Amino acid sequence: MAHDLGFWVLQALNALQLSMLLFLLSIGLTVIFGLMHFVNLAHGSLYAMGAYVAASLAAVGGYWMGFFLAPVAVAGVGVLLYSGLIRRMRRAGPMAQVLVTFGLIFALLDLTRIIWGDLALAIDVPASLSGRLTLLGIEYPVYRLFIIALGVAIFATLAFVLGRTQIGAMIRAGVDNDCMAACLGINVERLFFIVFCVGCGLAGLSGAVAAPLLSVTPDMGLQILIPTLIVIVIGGLGSLRGAIAGSLIYGFVQTFGAVLAPQLASVLIYALLAAVLVIKPVGLFPAKG
Amino acid sequence: MLKTRELDKKFGAVHVTRQVSLKLERGERRVILGPNGAGKTTLFNQLVGELTPDSGSVHLAGEDVTSLTVAQRARRGLSRSYQKNTLFDGLTVEENLGLAAAVHTGHATRLWGDSLARPEVREIVQEVAEQVNLMPFIHAKVSEISYGVRRQLEVGVALATRPLVLLMDEPTSGVGPEMSKAFHDLLNNLPRDLTMLIIEHDMDLAFDVADTITVLNYGEVVFDGAPNEARGSSLLREIYLGSWEDA
Amino acid sequence: MFRHTTLRYATLALLLAGALFQALTAGYFGLEILTEILILAMLVLALDIVAGFGGMVSLCHGALMGVGAYAFTILSTSAGIAPPIAMGGAVALSGAIAWIIGAICSRSHGIYFIMATLAFGQMAYSYVFEAPIFGGDDGLSGIRRLDLSLIGLNLNDSRTFALFCLVLLGAVYGAAVLILRSGLGRSFSGVMHNEQRMRALGLTVWRVKADVFGLSGMIAGLAGTLAAQHIMYISPGLLTWTVSGEALVVVILGGLGTLVGPLVGAAAFVVLKHEISGITPYWHLAVGLILIGVVMSRSNGIFGWIEKRWGARLDRRLADATRSQDQKEVTTDA
Repeated sequence: MAHDLGFWVLQALNALQLSMLLFLLSIGLTVIFGLMHFVNLAHGSLYAMGAYVAASLAAVGGYWMGFFLAPVAVAGVGVLLYSGLIRRMRRAGPMAQVLVTFGLIFALLDLTRIIWGDLALAIDVPASLSGRLTLLGIEYPVYRLFIIALGVAIFATLAFVLGRTQIGAMIRAGVDNDCMAACLGINVERLFFIVFCVGCGLAGLSGAVAAPLLSVTPDMGLQILIPTLIVIVIGGLGSLRGAIAGSLIYGFVQTFGAVLAPQLASVLIYALLAAVLVIKPVGLFPAKG
Repeated sequence: MLKTRELDKKFGAVHVTRQVSLKLERGERRVILGPNGAGKTTLFNQLVGELTPDSGSVHLAGEDVTSLTVAQRARRGLSRSYQKNTLFDGLTVEENLGLAAAVHTGHATRLWGDSLARPEVREIVQEVAEQVNLMPFIHAKVSEISYGVRRQLEVGVALATRPLVLLMDEPTSGVGPEMSKAFHDLLNNLPRDLTMLIIEHDMDLAFDVADTITVLNYGEVVFDGAPNEARGSSLLREIYLGSWEDA
Repeated sequence: MFRHTTLRYATLALLLAGALFQALTAGYFGLEILTEILILAMLVLALDIVAGFGGMVSLCHGALMGVGAYAFTILSTSAGIAPPIAMGGAVALSGAIAWIIGAICSRSHGIYFIMATLAFGQMAYSYVFEAPIFGGDDGLSGIRRLDLSLIGLNLNDSRTFALFCLVLLGAVYGAAVLILRSGLGRSFSGVMHNEQRMRALGLTVWRVKADVFGLSGMIAGLAGTLAAQHIMYISPGLLTWTVSGEALVVVILGGLGTLVGPLVGAAAFVVLKHEISGITPYWHLAVGLILIGVVMSRSNGIFGWIEKRWGARLDRRLADATRSQDQKEVTTDA
């Protein structure tokens, strides 16, 4: 089966778009883990919540209102979660944390069903981003290009913040050794709080961005959770580099697998994950050693 | 019985083990002395296989074991105790010894029958418990016994695999001087054919047990000989005692 | 290491009595619920063996159960093999797959282990979902139950089938206790307590982990063959990770590492599910909140909490009673 250049460009763009969406989700999760050793399984539920909030707001005030306010709203939910649950679970083992957030998945799933009902919501692409753009001989939806650009922008911003600013240095110190960071006079608890809320906000943002592409359903959080976890485990927990690498690997393997080897596609990514775990049990770019 | 040939290991730019060659005869009791950071524990880790040397080899009872895993070396008769207690905390003293003895007798991987109820295992547990004075605490949980007794158990667990060579990493670390003395008596009462390599911090106590002494400094063997030679050696006094007093 | 305490025996007796009472008196709906509990109990026993006694918190046990169910179905329907042999084959297959997963994941710990098992579970799910012989999303039907007419039993009767499951669950419980008390089981617990030391003692740690994981997989597979025979229809939904997640929740709600606790948890979970879903469609919310509450209370599940409160006291009272009896005997001897 021969494919022309247009095919490859199209698939590469699709893969990039999926990668960037996953990156937005996984970066929050992985930094929260790196810093707090806390796996928030409910991260996907926050993404679903972001999509719902964006859909509701878009119905009232247009797409951009949802785009800007959904992350804020989800970060607000993050504040509640942090002060109500997460802070108290800080000293508990990883097992207890996994379970509490597993319980949260159940609870948040039904909460979204209670608030928004079981029917799928749809949300339109804003007029300014609708339509298609001709690129390297193919037509590609502008909105998807927007997602890719957004992902790159967020990646650049985070790389700058983590690599060049004081708060970034504090976060890196905290990931490396939180006791030592605390000894150096860094307010680790406050750092945790900020990072957790920003991570939740990013989850909300990715929900808002994904909403026009997919139909908004209560179980969208559950569906995205597994890919996100695969991304951070392949990439290695706790690092920006791991999150972007994992996202790109997942996006490309999934997209190209689906068109080139459809029978294998679904098993391929899991087999890849298993292979990574066998060869490098802590992922490709772990934050520590 | 245990021999190393030019073991060498670097951690980045730090040369932690330099061309270390050691030779222990059957039944020999050798003490390794050296200041903090001299590379004693790193050497131990290479002997048992927890670390791979950059070059050089380790031989156990005439066999080159350099490429074998920790478990494979242990099954060939190399057993170690740790400087920091590495016990099965939720279990009793008897169960701690029993787990080790069962590995030795081969019952540790059997699906039929309780390994700890086996006569062979019970016999080893009984014997080791007597050797390291653990009989009074045999049914106590690790969490219920004192630190000093845990140190005895630490050595007991290593002994319960019936090793040919017993490596002990500061068996008396953190134990008061009086108990250390008793501990050394205990080591002296172990069977004479057991080869022992002991890391010790306290020089005087080391002389209680040692047939031979090796002194490490900056990862290098700077002295290898009998205890009375060591006592008189000015080189040793300078390196070891100098840093000892600084510490 | 597993020990039977007085409280555990008492709880077991109580559970057995309850199950028997239910099996003999309940109507069709009650029997369905009982069977559901018994099958879930078998799955969570399998999970408790590895998670509670070896720290291998698996998120692929649902998938292993699914493997058992699918293997039994394919073997007994399309392949036309006699159901008892099909059951054996399915159990062996899930055990073998579990052994391989256990061997591969033996080097991973904590969250990585959870993720790795999750990946393998999802792999099985995707495979079953995609491969044509498994019927895809539609699943498979036409499953027949075991024919025990030779010994005068008709498993198509729900009461008999419930009792059959109860007997098998009893056997599995006995097997679980034997596994945990064996040399292998003790070494497995030793690895959970201190893996480095077990290795330094000469134990091939990955083999021990793989062996016990394989045995646990066999039990999960057996539960799967029963689940297939119970509903007589299977779909890929059986293998999704949320099934494994729910099994883990049941183990935790009941009491990790107690064997008896997860049985209590299974009963509580199924009853609760049916009770709550009778009142509101949002039973997940209730389960989620209960789970959060139990974990945050820092107790080891329902049974762990009971054990902490009453277990020690009960044992002490019994010990006192036997001692005074001994003393009486001594005095009469004298």
